[in-house]
Amino acid sequence: MQGVKSLGFFLKALLGLGMAAICWAAFLWARPAQSFVGESSRIVFFHVPMAWVSTLAFFVAAWHSALYLRKRRMENDDAAAGAARLGFVFCVLATVTGSIFARVMWNSYWNWDPRETSIVLLLLVYGAYLGLRGALDDPERRATLSAAYALVAVVTVPFLTFAVPRMYQSLHPDTVINTRGKVEMSADIRTVFFSSMVAFMALFYWMWNLDRRVSRIVRERAA
Amino acid sequence: MSAPRPAAGILPAAIAVFRRELLAEWRTRVAVNSLFLFAFAVLVLVAYVVGPTRLSPEDRPTVNAVLLWIVLFFSAMTGLSRTFVHEEDAGTAAALRLSAPPPGVLLGKLFANVVLLGAVTAFIVPLFVVFMGFEIKEPLLFVLLLLLGISGLASASTFTAALVSKASAKGALFAVLAIPLLLPPLVGCVLATRVAATQADFSAGVDFLRLLVAYDGVVTTAAFLLFDAVWRE
Amino acid sequence: MRLVAENLSRSFGRRAFGPVSFRIETGRVLGVAGENGSGKTTLLKTLAGLIRPSGGYAKIFFDGEEAGDGHEPRDIPWSIGWCAPDLSLYGELTAEENLIFFERVRGRAAQLSGVKALLAEVGLPESSYSKKALGALSTGQRQRVKLAFATLHEPDLLLLDEPGANLDEAGRSIVQKVVSEQRFRGITVIASNDPRDLALTDERVTLS
Repeated sequence: MQGVKSLGFFLKALLGLGMAAICWAAFLWARPAQSFVGESSRIVFFHVPMAWVSTLAFFVAAWHSALYLRKRRMENDDAAAGAARLGFVFCVLATVTGSIFARVMWNSYWNWDPRETSIVLLLLVYGAYLGLRGALDDPERRATLSAAYALVAVVTVPFLTFAVPRMYQSLHPDTVINTRGKVEMSADIRTVFFSSMVAFMALFYWMWNLDRRVSRIVRERAA
Repeated sequence: MSAPRPAAGILPAAIAVFRRELLAEWRTRVAVNSLFLFAFAVLVLVAYVVGPTRLSPEDRPTVNAVLLWIVLFFSAMTGLSRTFVHEEDAGTAAALRLSAPPPGVLLGKLFANVVLLGAVTAFIVPLFVVFMGFEIKEPLLFVLLLLLGISGLASASTFTAALVSKASAKGALFAVLAIPLLLPPLVGCVLATRVAATQADFSAGVDFLRLLVAYDGVVTTAAFLLFDAVWRE
Repeated sequence: MRLVAENLSRSFGRRAFGPVSFRIETGRVLGVAGENGSGKTTLLKTLAGLIRPSGGYAKIFFDGEEAGDGHEPRDIPWSIGWCAPDLSLYGELTAEENLIFFERVRGRAAQLSGVKALLAEVGLPESSYSKKALGALSTGQRQRVKLAFATLHEPDLLLLDEPGANLDEAGRSIVQKVVSEQRFRGITVIASNDPRDLALTDERVTLS
């Protein structure tokens, strides 16, 4: 038990220091990228990981929703709801950072570029999911119905997110893994970028775990 | 006494549910009236303000495509939730739960909603042509995408109606839940309608048709897999 | 066949009923008594499979089935008949159309003659059941239609919640007839405060 606690402390400290290092490196170490306006490429270190985590969070919520419908264990419902709440926050942050970037790069806050539209769609899905949960009082009904919605959403959202952008010219800079299969970033940017991706995923995992533990305690107290 | 009664067949149950929905609608005409009136009112408003004479010919296909699907979408939001919400409100859902196999219930109500939305579409499209100067260069593409589009709208709406029927703020919640599910096919339908209105080339729209078929398949399958958990306690 | 309940309970935040345990054999009638708010309706809905139990279980065992093989009510809805104040049938259809619809949806051949006969048995005149929409009938007449709904498919388990509500003397004798017919088919459970309903029962469970 003591061993696990020490490990947990060590990992949290690592996350904290890692994030601090990334913030420093993002602004003071990595050089701004060529094709971007001024220093604006730095936002990529934050915007992309947050957008990625908000998408990942949704898949996590959908996975636990499926588990709940199979096994009917409230732990899965807690996990799904927690992932959704966090995912929503990350999604808002991704949308805002994206909008700021758009203003700097292309001089307008919003362009209805397919990628931008996808993140708004994700925002709407999160809003709908959380709204549905808010309207249901009975814990089992709430768990079942929100799980069903999450699963329908997870199969329909990709249609807009993946299908339509591929069919249209996008304002967005080339995807990280582009069509030639190579990563086109200079070494310093690449280091900070991938570290940031890992750090944000770890951050999400830590916060999600905390949320699950709190939910379980609240549920056990109420019973 | 010796064994449990065998399960009922899905198709006969679906047909019975479908017929009852249409019969009830015919007798009370609640959904039909509100849908047709709504669609017509929106069209009149739009036609008056942005009628054919005020739109340049290049803009007409895009504006008409968008408006047509806005009207159909909001008609769906207005009229398609009644099928489940009314069952819960009137208290008849319990009798149905005890008697019908769940997939039969979903299938029957889904067909009824497709017919309802189809009726509104058949009503409003000719009016669009007349009031808004809406020209279709490729009618086959247009008809196919109408059929696929309203099937998709109806599938997602019917399932969402089932979800919402047991919640508290049903009216507002229905649209909130349905919009994210329906944005993908709606965007596809609008873009495809524009293609059908501007180009006399069927192959230009085939990609969209494939998208819609895929979407319809995915949503309908998901709805059937999940409906049992949603419908029963 | 027999109906077995073991520590059956249901909570909606606060406890609605239970835990309650009983066994009832075919041909017998179980009465569920208790004051208003003691959970009789919820118990019957749980036995009908409309509500999941929060604790314990209720299972139906058919002839020759061992202890482990019982069926939960929610899995065998077509073997169950339920009549309760909460039950509503379609108001815009006639009684006849309602019953035919439910037979079709249950996958049974909907015999118009059988439906008419049953409606006559529950004491409805022809003009009421074939011409008037259900919404136009009186509460007592609707109660009779609900009894017909619950018995038309010859269920093994019949659940009656306040069956005598809104019924006159003639109506009550119909309830008696329904219950005695069910003795030949299977099990009856009656939930009621009314001593006349409880007089029809063999055994009793009281909820508090």
